[in-house]
Amino acid sequence: MTDSIRILSIEDEADIRKFLRATLGANDMTVIEAETGREGLRLATSQTPDIILLDLGLPDMDGMEIIRHLRDWTSIPIIVLSARGQERDKIEALELGADDYLTKPFAAGELIARIKVALRHASRPKGDAPFVYDYDGLTIDSAARRVRLDGEDVRLTPIEYRLLSVLARNSGKVLTYASLLKQVWDRHSPDNQTYLRIHTQHLREKLKDDALNPRFIVTEPGIGYRLNP
Amino acid sequence: MSPDTRPDPDKLLALVRHDGGEGVPRRGRLKVFFGASAGVGKTYAMLSEARLRLRDGVDVVSGVIEHHGRRETQALMEGIPVLPMLEIDHRGIRLTEFDLDGVLARRPGLVLVDEFAHTNAPGSRHPKRWQDVEELLDNGIDVYTTLNVQHLESVNDQVARLTGVWVRETVPDTIFEAADDIALVDIPSDELLKRLADGKVYVAEGANTRAAENFFKKSNLLVLREMALRRTAERVDAQSDELNAAMGQNEAQLGHKIMLLIGPDPLSTRLIRHAKRMAARGRAPWFAVYLQSDRHETLNEKSRARVEQYLRLAENLGAQVVRLSGAQPARDILTYARQNGFTRIMVGHRRIRWWLKPFRTAFAQQLIENSDGIEISVINGDVAPYSVTENVASSLRPFIARPIDYGVASAAVALATLAGLPFRDKTPSDNLTMLYLTAVVIVAARLGLGPSVVASILSVPAFNFFFAEPYYTFNFYDSYYYITFVFMLVTSLVVGSLTARLSRHARQVSERERETQILYGLTRALSSVRGVDRICEVAISHLSAPYNLAVSLFVDSPEGLGCIPKSAGPEDMKEMSAVRWVATNTQMAGRDTDTLPSASGLYLPLQAENETLGVMGLTPNGNGRRFTGSEILQFETFASLVAGALQRARRSDEAERSKVESENERLRNVLLSSLSHDLRTPLTVMNGSVSLLLKMRKELPRKAMDELTGLWGQLIRLQKFVGNLLNMAAITSGKMTLNFQPYMIQEIIGAALSQVQSTKENRQLRTQIVGNLPMVQIDGGLVEQVFVNLLENAFQHTASDGEIVITAERDADRLRIRISDNGAGLKTGDEARIFEQFQTAQTLSSDRAGGTGLGLAICRGIVQAHGGMIYARNNSDKTGASFIFTLPIVPEMPKEIL
Repeated sequence: MTDSIRILSIEDEADIRKFLRATLGANDMTVIEAETGREGLRLATSQTPDIILLDLGLPDMDGMEIIRHLRDWTSIPIIVLSARGQERDKIEALELGADDYLTKPFAAGELIARIKVALRHASRPKGDAPFVYDYDGLTIDSAARRVRLDGEDVRLTPIEYRLLSVLARNSGKVLTYASLLKQVWDRHSPDNQTYLRIHTQHLREKLKDDALNPRFIVTEPGIGYRLNP
Repeated sequence: MSPDTRPDPDKLLALVRHDGGEGVPRRGRLKVFFGASAGVGKTYAMLSEARLRLRDGVDVVSGVIEHHGRRETQALMEGIPVLPMLEIDHRGIRLTEFDLDGVLARRPGLVLVDEFAHTNAPGSRHPKRWQDVEELLDNGIDVYTTLNVQHLESVNDQVARLTGVWVRETVPDTIFEAADDIALVDIPSDELLKRLADGKVYVAEGANTRAAENFFKKSNLLVLREMALRRTAERVDAQSDELNAAMGQNEAQLGHKIMLLIGPDPLSTRLIRHAKRMAARGRAPWFAVYLQSDRHETLNEKSRARVEQYLRLAENLGAQVVRLSGAQPARDILTYARQNGFTRIMVGHRRIRWWLKPFRTAFAQQLIENSDGIEISVINGDVAPYSVTENVASSLRPFIARPIDYGVASAAVALATLAGLPFRDKTPSDNLTMLYLTAVVIVAARLGLGPSVVASILSVPAFNFFFAEPYYTFNFYDSYYYITFVFMLVTSLVVGSLTARLSRHARQVSERERETQILYGLTRALSSVRGVDRICEVAISHLSAPYNLAVSLFVDSPEGLGCIPKSAGPEDMKEMSAVRWVATNTQMAGRDTDTLPSASGLYLPLQAENETLGVMGLTPNGNGRRFTGSEILQFETFASLVAGALQRARRSDEAERSKVESENERLRNVLLSSLSHDLRTPLTVMNGSVSLLLKMRKELPRKAMDELTGLWGQLIRLQKFVGNLLNMAAITSGKMTLNFQPYMIQEIIGAALSQVQSTKENRQLRTQIVGNLPMVQIDGGLVEQVFVNLLENAFQHTASDGEIVITAERDADRLRIRISDNGAGLKTGDEARIFEQFQTAQTLSSDRAGGTGLGLAICRGIVQAHGGMIYARNNSDKTGASFIFTLPIVPEMPKEIL
């Protein structure tokens, strides 16, 4: 980590801001603090941070509104901090373009790990640019459209390949069911999640992955799927 | 598939339910062994099948079997448990009767009840045995029964005309058609005659042997057999139509819709049966329509009751009953028929007497002339073998008055004469005719048409005798008197009849006004009082006096049926059993009804919007009074008014209670959400700080690290507690909204396992998936919570190297998940209690729930919200406990979609 990582924390609770400052500071990150949504939006434009930590329960603005404003002009990674049991909020935030979420209370290690994933993701090529994924014996070469597991070629159907490549392109990040359906099936996306389940199951079988103890594809119940980084 | 032929799922479902599928509580199944006549072997067939069922392990008992001493039948009865018959003492005669309550108490799987159409002994709960059977079916008991075709209501008159034997024991066709199974027991007529000759057929004791001989003629048997076969075939057709309709292939019923016009004429019964047969054959829906025109006002009580009776008969035979009102019968009926898509109208017709022909057009004629596309079927009533005497009598009714009325009429004429005598020479005699006219008017107004006619006729000779010179003779000098007499007679007849009609009309109006007054008074009084007791008092005081009744109300409450007024609770068992019957069946019973007619009171259900609120009992003061149909109708109106008021009272009580509850709820929610916020923030901060400090392992002394580790553990506990508290709040407030999505259960287990990774220590966690599991429709996050809570609960009660096994398997339409550990197990009696809120080590005998005492309660809340069950029990090998829960499975997706 270089000391150039600058983090904007939009959080109304002074105590949590203090904790974030301490935790992040200890990891050589610079923290820019905003108490309200408006201030946060202003600082995001003037300071261009590398990453934004956004509390969803701000007094002056709806968290979703802030994400929408930010996503109008920037793709700075956004990590949402939310209270427990607000699955719907998380899904909405993810669908609006947030990169990840953390449920309060969370441990310092967890926060640092998520920030690193988000940053790595941000540095990756965007859009349809070719990419290479390599993790725990699974390699995906999107230019060659080739998937290998422990040195062996894996034969995937077009849908399975699309599903895997969408997950790999966003590896480490949770993709909601709805966004997976949209990206994999494109315009013809079925509104039934059963399809997604069935294809995911087939994909897991081919990758010798076990839902009970996932090596690659992790289920986030109620939210979506994530490919291990 | 095109959209219009797609199966209608609701209809299919209804059919399945009808088949006794998933309905809870299940209605019993009825199988009817159906034959053309006695002696075909119905009872024999029924017993044979019952034996098979007995062998299959079904709990079969015999309720009533009429073996008529036949040995083959008796042999078949061996081995089937027989329920003793009830002995009823009726005016010194001992009668045995089917013991309905005995069967209900014994609750067998299947009961054999011979002779479906049997009429019960007086004093039984229901007048008819088929009603007993209905009650058995309602209680989930299967019934086998036997029936001859001649006992079917709709063929009743045909059989009567055919054989000359009028069968009074009938079963409504709707009941027959609602049977789940009909087994036709059929033998050729020759065979039956042979059996008869061999003495194998039982002919009713004391039955007129000649009548029996008449009945068992080959020609009759052939017709009866045809009827039985046809009825069975019609039923099969109707069933396949029902299926076709549900499957969207609806051609069979194309088009026909029959309307039958009903009037007070006794011809109506024949029309009804005829229409029923026609509708059944054409598989068309049919409607019985009564047009309440101006003429309805002039109908007497008997005719009105008859109309009601005919409408009920039609309803029993499966018609829908419609009452129309309108001033122009033919036009109104045709308009209604056209608007509602009727294709055929059936109407009865009687020849109009020749002298009336110039003035009247037959109603059927009017219909035909304007029918315009609708088929009109006219049934001529004049050729029917029915007596019309009643009809004649009813048209003569105005003339039938008490003899004393005619005496009074004569006296009135005498009085008019006496009053006129002093003026005989002072005024022209014409004026004195007015005196008589006055008398006639008074008689007509008070006593009706008959006496007024008598008075009119007597007036003329009286006038002649006393006031036309020469006095005191029936001669008169002046031929001018002829004209006086004729005019006097005509005028007094016309004025008399007009007055009589007017006064009768006025009486009817005043009667109705009285009824309206009572109704109005009751409504007003009911709306001004509050509370169940006051409502009952008002109802009692408003109804007792005008109808001379003892009114009692039985109001349904959590403690049972409470009687108001308390003093008037009928101590009689029979009355109380009627009350209870009405409350359970929500139909009226008691005096002058079909059910328990021997009760001294009439009992009406108090029902409002499908909610039964109690029973209203009406017992006339003084014996021998019969309730007329229109009175019962009025009582029903009153009952529904009282029920409405009681329902409002109940609602307002509930509203009051729920207001208090919602206030409590609001307070609790405010408390919880502020708790949640106020606790979470410091927790997050503490959590962050401690986790930071723990990273500075090298810089801190070892003792400080130990303290920090301890603090970290407590922090995690506190976090879980807060989380659980909030979950529980959501569950108990009913605000938990489930986000159902399809999942493989393995995914959820995997997510839960990764969550407990840090707390499992050295415990072995194994997962067994039995077979191929289908997907479940669940809220993934919440079910994950169930797993986490159950696993953490297992951790608390197993050693740190214990073993925990998660098993998931399919059990019919559910997924069953078992989490079993090898810890200390549960103490007896705790299996259910551990799922209660805040049951912890202190309150439970075994330290099972542990921790916050909320974890398992949350599991139960979540599983129940999914429509599943959760329970705990000790493992059979006495090591540890198992927590088991079920989740419903999503129906398989059709292959074509994938």
